[in-house]
Amino acid sequence: MTTSNAPLPTYQAKDYKSELKPIWCPGCGDFGVVQAIYRALAAIGRPPHEIAFVSGIGCSSRIPGYTTAYGFNSVHGRALPIAQGIKIASPELLVLVAGGDGDGFSIGGGHVAHAVRRNTDITYIVMDNQIYGLTKGQLSPTSPKGLHTVTSEYGSLEEAVNPLLYVLAYGANFVAQGTPADMAGLAEVIEAAIRFPGFSFVNVQSPCVTFGEDDQQVKNHRATMQSLAKLGHDPTDRLAAMGLAQKYGKELHTGVFYKNPDPPPTMNALIKERQQVLSEKAPPRSRIFDRFLQT
Amino acid sequence: MTDKTRSIDLANISLRDALDLAVLVEEEAKDRYEEFADQMELHHNPEAARFFRFMLAIEAKHESRLAERRRGLFGDEPRAVKREMIFDIEAPEYDEVRANMTLRQALDASLRAETKAFEFFEAAAEMVQMKDVQDIFTELREEEREHQALVRQEIDRLPPEGPARDDDDEIVAL
Ligand SMILES: Cc1ncc(C[n+]2csc(CCOP(=O)(O)OP(=O)(O)O)c2C)c(N)n1
Ligand code: SF4
Ligand SMILES: [Mg+2]
Repeated sequence: MTTSNAPLPTYQAKDYKSELKPIWCPGCGDFGVVQAIYRALAAIGRPPHEIAFVSGIGCSSRIPGYTTAYGFNSVHGRALPIAQGIKIASPELLVLVAGGDGDGFSIGGGHVAHAVRRNTDITYIVMDNQIYGLTKGQLSPTSPKGLHTVTSEYGSLEEAVNPLLYVLAYGANFVAQGTPADMAGLAEVIEAAIRFPGFSFVNVQSPCVTFGEDDQQVKNHRATMQSLAKLGHDPTDRLAAMGLAQKYGKELHTGVFYKNPDPPPTMNALIKERQQVLSEKAPPRSRIFDRFLQT
Repeated sequence: MTDKTRSIDLANISLRDALDLAVLVEEEAKDRYEEFADQMELHHNPEAARFFRFMLAIEAKHESRLAERRRGLFGDEPRAVKREMIFDIEAPEYDEVRANMTLRQALDASLRAETKAFEFFEAAAEMVQMKDVQDIFTELREEEREHQALVRQEIDRLPPEGPARDDDDEIVAL
């Protein structure tokens, strides 16, 4: 026996790759991210027709079209509410959400907190390139302070949003980070996020080679990234995770920041429970109409 | 080396699995060159696209030769090594290309890819226990050396480097 005893996947990564050829700029970090997603899905082994992939608008939001899953390239900043609706209406689907830092933390920023607290069982993958890529290089909420862009000619005056700390502070139960510089590691965290029962968040440092900063490119990631597992980080310690998350923008940590060892019930589980309680109390449908007639 | 494979015990790999690994390494490189050629065509860089198609043909030939050998030795025996277990062993990394890259830059990217494949098979040959597997990895290492020579030859034939194309690729906003 020359390979480990891990069960072999029924589906291969190529089964999740669509016929559509990506139109991203050559060298874009998103190429590595979609490959990692194919591999994570192959490891999970759900057939493509049982997967719904929702995105907003942006270069990164093109991802659903490059997969064979059901895709919804929706509205800028609105991927999370749509994905939650899909999961609640069709609990049997595996629901993935993807988008950019602008999509998720600027126009769509208000939805993140609620997705976290509702704890719907979806996986949110943000391709954080610290820029608005699709619209040609404007400041994004995660752009570092001082960044010169077409909308910050003399350098940005604003502090960057910290996506890791943001979701941890709202109580997210699974928070991880990856980079296409370590595709194996990225595929692993995406797989772990999908397997986690509840809302899971993966921030991917996915460089924009056209409008991004040179020192944030994949080659630099390769040289500077630090694996949280190798640092001996305990992913069940939320406070330690928050301590490490504070280094966002200064150090590149990869792997799982936080994974709740005792995951709370998901929104779907709570709904099911409520439906059971109510179905015992509720009058038969035929009598609901009578109630209106009585008043 | 370990970041290039997952769940493969290279030290104890069998001849069949080693051949399957070799086929997949070439398949991965072939697919990547095809993607790069498509990208270059889409971004109006026919020179780099042509070169990537040339490399694609070389990898495809190598892949089919190895696959034939595997079939000859092991017939239709199922494969234990899967594509999901390997990561960019010979395939150039995605960040190696740019829309405006020159032909020389495309050749350099390919040379780096052939070099890393050479290093992979060299390390693998040192690691394995079985003689027949060691022989195959050594043979593959030498083939990667030949590929490097081929790319170097192309580099030497190039005229002195001109400036990179500076056309901005238009991204269409939605
Ligand atoms: C309601 C609305 N506002 C603005 C836009 C224009 N727009 C499209 S994508 C985008 C930002 C893209 O940045 P990001 O989400 O970070 O994705 P990236 O392209 O960097 O992957 C903007 C402002 C839009 N499409 N819809
Ligand atoms: S503009 Fe940036 S984010 Fe968009 S495809 Fe090009 S490199 Fe990628
Ligand atoms: Mg962005």
